[in-house]
Amino acid sequence: MLFRAPGHSWSRLTRWLPGVVLLCTLPLGQLAAQSAAPSGCSLLLSGRVQDHESRGALAGATVVVLETQQATQTEPDGHYHLDLCPGVYHVQVSFVGFTPETVEVRVVGAVLRDFQLHPDAIALKGAVIEGQHIDVPTPQATGNLSGQALQQTRGQALGEALQKISGVTAIQTGPSIFKPMIHGLHSNRVTILNNGVRQEGQQWGQEHGPEIDPFIASQLTVVKGAASVRYGSDAIGGVVLVQPKALRDSAGTGAELNLVGMSNNGLGAASGTLEGNVRQLSALSWRVQGTVKRAGTMRAPGYYLRNSGFEEYDFSAAVGWRKANYGLEVFYSQFNTKLGILPAAHAESPSDLYAAIARRRPLETSGFNYAINRAYQQISHDLLKATGFVRTGTAGKLTATLGQQTDYRDEYDLYSARNADRAARNRPALSYSNRTTTGELFWEHRPLGGFTGSVGVAGTYQFNRYADGTRGFIPFYNNTIAGAFAIERWTRNRWQLEAGIRADYRTLETRRGTRDTLGVYYVDRREFTYLTPAASLGAIFDATPHLTLSLTSSLTQRAPAANERFSDGVHNAQYELGYDLVPGNEALGPETAYHTGLTASWHDNPRLNGELTLYQTTIDGYIYQRPILPPVINIRGTLVSWQYQRTNAVLRGLDLGATYRLAPQWEVGGKASIVRGRDTQEDEWLFFMPADRAELSVRYAVPERPATRLTGRYVQLGSYAVARQTRVPADYTAKDYALPPAGYVLLGLEAGATVHWGRLPLNISLAGSNLLNQRYRDYLNRYRYFADEMGRNVTLRVQVPFELSRQH
Amino acid sequence: MNTPLFRPFLLALLASTTLLSACKDDNEDPTPDEDNEQITTLIYTLTPVGGGTPLTVQYRDLDGDGGTAPTIGTLTLAPNTTYTGTLELKDETKTPAENTTAEIQEKAEEHLFFYEPSGTNLTVTRTDKDKNNLEIGLTTRAVTGAANATGTTGTLKITLRHQPGSKNGTFTPGSTDVEVNFPTVVR
Repeated sequence: MLFRAPGHSWSRLTRWLPGVVLLCTLPLGQLAAQSAAPSGCSLLLSGRVQDHESRGALAGATVVVLETQQATQTEPDGHYHLDLCPGVYHVQVSFVGFTPETVEVRVVGAVLRDFQLHPDAIALKGAVIEGQHIDVPTPQATGNLSGQALQQTRGQALGEALQKISGVTAIQTGPSIFKPMIHGLHSNRVTILNNGVRQEGQQWGQEHGPEIDPFIASQLTVVKGAASVRYGSDAIGGVVLVQPKALRDSAGTGAELNLVGMSNNGLGAASGTLEGNVRQLSALSWRVQGTVKRAGTMRAPGYYLRNSGFEEYDFSAAVGWRKANYGLEVFYSQFNTKLGILPAAHAESPSDLYAAIARRRPLETSGFNYAINRAYQQISHDLLKATGFVRTGTAGKLTATLGQQTDYRDEYDLYSARNADRAARNRPALSYSNRTTTGELFWEHRPLGGFTGSVGVAGTYQFNRYADGTRGFIPFYNNTIAGAFAIERWTRNRWQLEAGIRADYRTLETRRGTRDTLGVYYVDRREFTYLTPAASLGAIFDATPHLTLSLTSSLTQRAPAANERFSDGVHNAQYELGYDLVPGNEALGPETAYHTGLTASWHDNPRLNGELTLYQTTIDGYIYQRPILPPVINIRGTLVSWQYQRTNAVLRGLDLGATYRLAPQWEVGGKASIVRGRDTQEDEWLFFMPADRAELSVRYAVPERPATRLTGRYVQLGSYAVARQTRVPADYTAKDYALPPAGYVLLGLEAGATVHWGRLPLNISLAGSNLLNQRYRDYLNRYRYFADEMGRNVTLRVQVPFELSRQH
Repeated sequence: MNTPLFRPFLLALLASTTLLSACKDDNEDPTPDEDNEQITTLIYTLTPVGGGTPLTVQYRDLDGDGGTAPTIGTLTLAPNTTYTGTLELKDETKTPAENTTAEIQEKAEEHLFFYEPSGTNLTVTRTDKDKNNLEIGLTTRAVTGAANATGTTGTLKITLRHQPGSKNGTFTPGSTDVEVNFPTVVR
């Protein structure tokens, strides 16, 4: 189970999981009633139960006729049959790890009815108790996107898609750049794991989105709140896990094609996957995947946002060799993108700057086109990962992961060089490379009594450079981290307790090229070492089969990163300054976070399911970026300016998500999240906290008819509301360039179905967002000073799975 | 582990570890930003037409963006006087200092300066032209009127528009390379 991040290859998981787990989710009475057909009627209801993701048969799934309480379990090939009298029935199908489905069936003769269940991560908690390797520390609140929910985000950037999870927002820069924010924390405080390897890039700008192709993932999981013991001291705010599907383990070849088109910016995306398992060598599996994405000028209501197009080209390949006692997998991925930067931020004097901010729309707009002009960013990221596991006899399992990644970032300013030679060379103004080597050794001991657990060591070596002759913004640095951790879990009856401890030793060596007041160049060398601890305690209590309570509490210390200390200069027409460079400041020290979270989830209920999370994070020495006024002036004009500062902070909040089944075909869903951030040193609100938001949706699943070409039809109407952020520091007009923008409500409508075209199931959906073409700005978008958000957009998505080998 | 096929994978793993070894430029120092085109210094020299001591006013920011704020001089002109003006622009972060004036002169058909006095009795006109017979503004004539009211100071805003391929004599095309405001007084 090593290569797999939690949560996929369900059909396979079930083979590993003892049937005991099934008992947790099924009322025993239903099983007892199995095959007790009322006498006299023999109309046959039959069909097959499949995993919607892998199309694999689900053996042992439970099929219950709610009216008669007749029940049965599916056979090894996924088939089931029940004898019924004529009538209308509600049939419920459930299987551990999947969302149960209830449909109405009219029985007048023999009825054939197939089911495709969607994976559901909440129910999988059973798997943890069984000692499966799952990366998510379970007492933590988690949210995830997979199956249809993930499908509904295809074509979006990673950070944009994650906003579907309650409690997750994004720091945004224009239409294409989204940096995930969890419970009000972001950037250096959110760790992103790309296929098990910590994503390392140039984190230094809020306008740097994660360099990851979301099409790689079959599941996106967010751990909300500190998870530093397992993932390293930076994970104070949380963790994003980008998890590809496990390599195919059944012989044959399969493929999947995803196509996305958007009306607003003419975005077109195509992503394909081809995977196989060699029949003669069942241990050998492989996969190749690629994505092409291109978007033109985005339209805000009433005008086009000049130079907002982008393009992206990504591919990945994986090959694995897997036996019962050992396995090895090598994965390579590459991400390339070119992003246009809106010119609206360029202002030439303080009065121009304020005029630009006051304007309803940017002075420079354009028509629609796919051209990407200056200013733009060009980014590429590649990752090579090798991971292997060995079962260490009866003692446990040893897993090693090595990753090597390189991130290149070139930023071209709006202005090209005046000097002819320089213009001909056309070099970027900023040209960075960041190379990171990571390694982890992880040993899970076999269950001893009620105890399971693991110990691990992890190391990182990173160095960051910029090209000779280009502008320095972040210094050269070498960063070394060595960490060791242990997590132990005790399970008995309905209780699970978990404790973890970690220490990280980190050195940061910086070499910064700068000039003194006379303009003389020199290199400022500094070295820092830190020893940061982390500890966590957690408990999960299954109060009833339908209610789980979990509590987590942790302490984490995080060393400051190079950008927080030494950012210096102009970057995308905005000026930034690191903490250590502010005159009068001492060297920036680590910040210490105390996090407590309480989650109640009620699940596997026929009607009402949901989750409520309450949390508090106290951060001593909280490092944050705030606008500085008056703005910095250079010879070209006036720049929106930012500076890193530190204070003490408390962030409290709640996330609520619930669904209610009004009727078999109707479901209402709601989400809400609230964050309150206080600066306890100044006794005022914190800068840039997400405003209160809520989402409401109604979904209608069209009743299935037998022998039809269309299945899984649904219509979903949703609205998303964000309030104005009123909780900002006092005297805010003197502290930011503009007050937080007004709240907004967006309306969305989506419809989809599976079209059976010959033997091919085409999953098609059409989704409209911002249907009323509302003009709005968001407080967390750095371009809110200058431009509106995207107007009305209609997205068409098509997903087609192919089975290329002969089916059995 | 004896499976023959396992070995190539082991080799692949070993091969990848060579990539993982530290690179040799770990201890390099950053070098100056020679490709970063800057204008650190702008000097406007005004020579009275009837003879007399030339006046100069200067904007200078040697340490680049941010850091120490630029030094900006004040222009004090005599009333009812005509001056000939010349502009000089430099990048003093380079050694030797880069003569930006010459580069602008060379590509005069891409550059246009604007002189906008306000709150003071001053008019500035451009006296040089590019090959397309459009004005440039590296040389100027400045004419002052009556003295400023006591205790008041105006400004002279000098703007350089970079307009490759689009220069038409107006402000609009292109982008701004320089914008400097000098406190200006006629006294």
